[in-house]
Amino acid sequence: MEDKVLIANRGEIAIRIMNACKNLGLDYVVVYTQEDESSLHVKLNRDSRSNRRNAWRVSSYRDPNDILAVADHTGCTAIHPGYGFFAEDYRFARRVQTRERSLTFIGPGWEVIKGLGSKINTKGIANALKIPTIPGSDAPIYNEIEAEGLAEELFYIQEEKGIKNPSILVKASAGGGGMGIEQVTHIDQFRQVYRRIKNYAKRQFGDEGVLIEQCINDYNHLEVQLVCSRHREMVHFGTRNCTIQSLGRQKRIEVSPGFDLENPSGYQFNPQRILDEIIDYSLKLAAHVKYDNVGTWEWIVTREGHPYLLEVNTRIQVENDVSAKTSRIRGHDSPPNLIEEQIRLALGERLGYRQKDISFTGVAIEFRVVAEDTKRGFTPWIGTITGLEPPVYPWLSIYSHVPHPEAYDIPSEYDPNLALAIMWGENLAEAKERGRTFLSEVKIEGQNSREEPIITNLDYLKENIDNLLIFKD
Amino acid sequence: MSELDLDQLLIHYREDPYEDFVVETPNTGWVRFMADDGMKVEGPRGTWQHIPGTLLYVLERERNRIPIHAHINGTISELQVDLNGQFVEANTHLMSIRHPMTKDEVINKILKQVLITFNAPERAKYFFPPEITYKLEKKKHGTVLVRPGEEILIMSLMKRDTPLIYNGEPGIIHTVYFQPNITLNQGEPLLGICPPGKLNYIRKIVQKIQNEWA
Repeated sequence: MEDKVLIANRGEIAIRIMNACKNLGLDYVVVYTQEDESSLHVKLNRDSRSNRRNAWRVSSYRDPNDILAVADHTGCTAIHPGYGFFAEDYRFARRVQTRERSLTFIGPGWEVIKGLGSKINTKGIANALKIPTIPGSDAPIYNEIEAEGLAEELFYIQEEKGIKNPSILVKASAGGGGMGIEQVTHIDQFRQVYRRIKNYAKRQFGDEGVLIEQCINDYNHLEVQLVCSRHREMVHFGTRNCTIQSLGRQKRIEVSPGFDLENPSGYQFNPQRILDEIIDYSLKLAAHVKYDNVGTWEWIVTREGHPYLLEVNTRIQVENDVSAKTSRIRGHDSPPNLIEEQIRLALGERLGYRQKDISFTGVAIEFRVVAEDTKRGFTPWIGTITGLEPPVYPWLSIYSHVPHPEAYDIPSEYDPNLALAIMWGENLAEAKERGRTFLSEVKIEGQNSREEPIITNLDYLKENIDNLLIFKD
Repeated sequence: MSELDLDQLLIHYREDPYEDFVVETPNTGWVRFMADDGMKVEGPRGTWQHIPGTLLYVLERERNRIPIHAHINGTISELQVDLNGQFVEANTHLMSIRHPMTKDEVINKILKQVLITFNAPERAKYFFPPEITYKLEKKKHGTVLVRPGEEILIMSLMKRDTPLIYNGEPGIIHTVYFQPNITLNQGEPLLGICPPGKLNYIRKIVQKIQNEWA
């Protein structure tokens, strides 16, 4: 391959993309902002003499002109957006693909992102295909009176159904990744929340459109990992369960597969049948929109076993490697690398295997290790990390942008994520036990400007291991 | 609100009446200088500051030619001549402007030491909540009263909005030091608040500087 990839992202994903490029024999360039100068993804590319000009400072990871200027100046032929930032921005993908000096966008085609990048469009397409979705608006709402009318109707419908403690969700329609979502438990709170989300949406996403949906409280949050090529080939890499989330609906633990298949009697439904059902629905929608890269179909499944499609993430996800760790292609000893697959397929290669060639083995759990105070609303902790030392085991993979042994100031512009830790086990019990081992052996040190010690979510992760793959009472 | 040794402060500012402003590239691009070291430059002028300042350099990327003008008057120093014609990264230091402070700027600097300053608790972006924005738009600055326990600002940090509650003594918002959507460092002043009973004292300070600063 002679392509050269510009990695338009930061943190651990930038490092994972960088390593995927190396494995594929591709040259690459990273960008960074002033605030990120001490991040490992910069240090790895600035400190090495042979790679002196592999790291370029830009004004923002969201400035397309800066990023494209660097791509042209450095002779890049493709752009990998990672997750967040431009990953689901169809305008950016379109510009990359259609400009005079066109580049390959490592992700789905811009038309596909446009169709599925918005929760509203996705809901419309899914409804047309008779794929179940959550009751609520299927277009962005800009009018407060219209919004309040729908909110009242959704409360009324829930009361009619005899649902205890009915509530609705107010979401920024252009949002994603759990940001810009608030729950309303009484219609009297609605206007205040609506205005807050509208302001937030306008500021963060440049679009003040809001979605209103019935809030389903008793559910598990599942994902289906699809990998598709430009040649209409399509496979899935199983399911994940990401029900353990922070108050702001940010995922904190992910598990693959999506239900505990060794213990089907723990559910009110047949877990294998539901997993198969959401995979089939996901593939049906993917085929309909001619999906052509890596993507994740997000679902909620109620305690009674009713699945509802939430949204489609038209990008690589943080937790992609959880699926990879439990998958094997043609019985190969080591798991696939879905980022490598994503790059390869975006550059036009064929998949090279079929669904029957993919087998699944064991259980994988991912912890997102974050500097945050889980007892005070998951408030981000800001300060200096002076040590991050995970244990070393063959069953453990760590991804982190925190340099070691140097001190690292967490930039206040970005989330205080410290590391991803993925444990694999033969079964759920072993994976959980290995998770506990990781949590008891990892060492994280740091302090803030008031010289108070670092606060992390390690205890929260520990407390939630026993909540994996169950419906909590 | 402390009493000041105004005479001492004025002596200090008279001895060094300059402020140095670093000029950095806002973006990546190809840079072409239009100013020389030692050159005197003007900031924006006109009733609405609609006439741009002296052209300092041109930054070009993605076929966009961005002329960058001086945002303040002064003298060019530390011009990085070796960067002329080069592709530069964002936040590259290109030159500095040594700016002679005006009477109003000296007043502002001194008032910062007199007013109750509400400082940034963290490095973050700050916004007014809609209610305060509405009051500031409706009324002129200096007439918006804040009381303890009121939500005074929104801190946007790591994509999360946190309301900031005012805990100082009641006062009016006299000066707004921040611009929305610009990151401020921890401890930088956001608002200058004046208790209504101290307005006369503030006026006296302003009057004294007006009379004594040449």
